[in-house]
Amino acid sequence: MADTSVKTKRIAIVLATGSYQREAPTTVLRLIEKLLQRGVDVNVWAFEEAVTLTNKDQIDHNEPGSLQKILGEKHPNIGRFIDQLIRAGLHGAKLDWVSCILCVQERGVEKHQMGGAIVGTLGDLWKFVKAADKVICIPTYR
Amino acid sequence: MASYLIIESRDLTEYTSGRYIQRVALQLKEDGHEVILFLIENGVIAARKGCEVGKGLSNLAGRGAKVMAEEVSCRARGIDALSDGVTRESLDHLADLIVEGSDKVMWY
Repeated sequence: MADTSVKTKRIAIVLATGSYQREAPTTVLRLIEKLLQRGVDVNVWAFEEAVTLTNKDQIDHNEPGSLQKILGEKHPNIGRFIDQLIRAGLHGAKLDWVSCILCVQERGVEKHQMGGAIVGTLGDLWKFVKAADKVICIPTYR
Repeated sequence: MASYLIIESRDLTEYTSGRYIQRVALQLKEDGHEVILFLIENGVIAARKGCEVGKGLSNLAGRGAKVMAEEVSCRARGIDALSDGVTRESLDHLADLIVEGSDKVMWY
């Protein structure tokens, strides 16, 4: 019988999917919110296109006029959700978000990372993995 | 014996390689491990009642694995009835499984 009585306290999530690509970032953020609510610290290592999630210069574009009664006036960008989750950690379980330095430089978003997102190296990924009770790797597929 | 939580996010009818996940889950179960296959995002499409791929999920459930489909993903895709043996669960339940109900987590 597996000993599942030991509560997980720290989780590392490795994410490679960026804004407007797939559903994964939204799902992951929904899950992170639930994990933080359970007192679990979450460390996210974002690389490849996922470094665009924390681009602070994303804008909330207008929804088509004919759909605004259903969808609302603006379509919020995902960076706002991340910012909210990082701030939530001030008073509870915390979310650390590291964007891969090579990936932000390649995509020209190094100077556009939002406050709270840290540009880091593979060394940070190693420390996240080493410190985690569980590591969840979100695959990218096309 | 370990407890495996396998999270399946791909549409198994589009990504046929995803069907190997069912084989992995079945083999783990036959090796004596606890197995939970949690379908999310497009992974729930296979769980729609009547879907041919869903037979594999029912078979897996019949052999003792737990097969679950995430509620919001189902609703977003208009999926009401699920294949036999597949239960509808919330994202809160998935968080509980990750935190306290599994040893190993795989996301596909």
